[in-house]
Amino acid sequence: MRKRIFFIMAMLLWYGIVYTQNKQILYDFREIPQALLINPGMETPYAWYGGIPALSGISLQTGTNGITVHDIFADDGVDINLKVRERAVFGLGFRDELSGTFQLDILNGGFRDRNRPENFYSFGIYLEGDAIGYWPQDLAILGYEGNADALGRRFNLSHLKTKGELVNVFHFGLNKKLNRNLTVGARGKVYSSIFNFSSTRNKGYFVTNEGQNNLLSNTLVADMELRTSGLDEIDDILDDDSIDSGPALASLFRRRALLGGNLGLGVDVGFSYKLNRQTVVTGSLLDVGFIYHTKDVRRIRLQGEATVEGVEVILPDALLDPSADFWQDLVDEVEALVPFEDNVSKNYISFRPIKLNGSIRYDFEEPKTPRGEDCKCDYRVSGNRESPIDYLNSVGGHLYVIQRPRGPQAALTAFYQRRFGRALSLKATYTADKFTLTNVGLGMNLQAGPINFYFMADNLLGYRNLADSHYASFQLGLNIISWGSK
Amino acid sequence: MKNGLIYLLLGFALVCSSACVEEQDFDQLEDLQVTPTIEASILYIESPESVINLATGISFYANTFNFDAFNETFFADKVLDGVVIYEVENTTSKELDITVEFLDEAGNALDIEQFSVNPAPTALLRTEIAYGPGGRSLDIIRNTSAIRVSATNLGDNTSVSNLPDPKIILRSSGRFRIELVQ
Repeated sequence: MRKRIFFIMAMLLWYGIVYTQNKQILYDFREIPQALLINPGMETPYAWYGGIPALSGISLQTGTNGITVHDIFADDGVDINLKVRERAVFGLGFRDELSGTFQLDILNGGFRDRNRPENFYSFGIYLEGDAIGYWPQDLAILGYEGNADALGRRFNLSHLKTKGELVNVFHFGLNKKLNRNLTVGARGKVYSSIFNFSSTRNKGYFVTNEGQNNLLSNTLVADMELRTSGLDEIDDILDDDSIDSGPALASLFRRRALLGGNLGLGVDVGFSYKLNRQTVVTGSLLDVGFIYHTKDVRRIRLQGEATVEGVEVILPDALLDPSADFWQDLVDEVEALVPFEDNVSKNYISFRPIKLNGSIRYDFEEPKTPRGEDCKCDYRVSGNRESPIDYLNSVGGHLYVIQRPRGPQAALTAFYQRRFGRALSLKATYTADKFTLTNVGLGMNLQAGPINFYFMADNLLGYRNLADSHYASFQLGLNIISWGSK
Repeated sequence: MKNGLIYLLLGFALVCSSACVEEQDFDQLEDLQVTPTIEASILYIESPESVINLATGISFYANTFNFDAFNETFFADKVLDGVVIYEVENTTSKELDITVEFLDEAGNALDIEQFSVNPAPTALLRTEIAYGPGGRSLDIIRNTSAIRVSATNLGDNTSVSNLPDPKIILRSSGRFRIELVQ
């Protein structure tokens, strides 16, 4: 049991600290191949690239839109009970959330078709986790305060809303430059699910009223469901004291990650379109897909309605059966009215969280020769291809939307990108979303010959005290890139 | 241009390297207490006057009920204090005695509460019994696995109250504070 609790807490902590809502710095950062993963229709300047396995794309982010670690654990002399009560239990709303996705590039590569240089292919494998948990406001208050002195108050069960998964993704994409202005791309994906859980359609309430007969009545109206796949086997390993759970879990995860889990299909699409020589609009739709769960599936459901006023003995009817067990009858009646079903065989389909990106970019200031003349002197071209990165500056805006159980969440970013010679490119962003309105980010791309290294940090103002930050992140990666011969 | 680049890089490095975490006191968790108060009805008994008149002796009702709510491990281990509230309403023409006993698994009486109610018209009789610090022992609650109720008619077997639908009613509820986290 302790191991199971540890595992669940570790998972929650993982999703708590590995938190990626948005890759606004990386988006349309054309010098970095991993940007293709968030817009398969990005303009691609490479001849080929290869990511350093497991190092080509790492992103870690932390965040919460409600309270911070500092709000509760600051050494400020305030009683923690007061802080939890005011800042968490009664300070958070049911729309507050802890959510995120993360990606870890395991393998990533791409190459340009020699015969059709307008085609660029990319492929790879990445591990992705995605989870969201909304603050269960009414249930938290019920758990913290209880139902005393709350006559008539309905504690809303729909406040319990959560879903999450860990999935390994195999992908192959085609990026095609259709003409001078339009580049499109699509990426097919095979999902191999490691585990999945979902409890998002809960309804009902719990209320205490004055009783019709007795002093109080407690009413439960519930329509709640939790669907999981892949968790029971994990649970069994954690419960089995005869085996070392670490290697056993690693083996299980490896098997499921390599197409041994529940499988699904998905697609990403994207485009870049030049409105004129200096203005470009882009867009992408990611993870339009599903996973069909047939293995290690469990469905837990609580559905029904019951009102209880304690053990009721009404004479003379109660005299008819002197041996009646009124308590057990009450328990049986409630269990019949609100049955708890635990079904291990119901297959189900889960949909991936769809993400939408859109941007507009304005490029300006062409590179100059040492004598100050305009030149087409960017080395990032192959053969007769034109370089898509032929301006020193870019400025623009980016919109990100992700589908979540309580509806879409959006983030709006303004960015400025500056290229310094051939080796360095910097990008600064300002982002506003439901988590923070003071998110300033900075990304840096270094190109040393074929070696490409990028590093990005988000919400830099939060770095003054990470414990008090609603959002902090960094991304980094290492690639080998060939731009082809000029 | 070179100077600008250097300043930019220095600024970036400075921001990233100056990230700090103000010291947090996670030991505060040991002081965290989550102690909700829960309340629910316990027992409701109702008898019309006609049933009381049918009984041949003075005791017209006696029964022992299995009641496992209090000694469920989750509740028994976490209960801190509480109150049991009784309300007796008598609209019959008789003086009645009602006794409620909390019994342990062996049938031993852990606690006894007796109510003497006058014939109608009479005021609602309400009693609150506290358990825990300042009240009766919490062990009574923790070890209760049955409730015995007996009712005695101290009047006659023929009279009928003028009030509509005369009855004796015992209502009860519990209100307990439990310790979820400490």
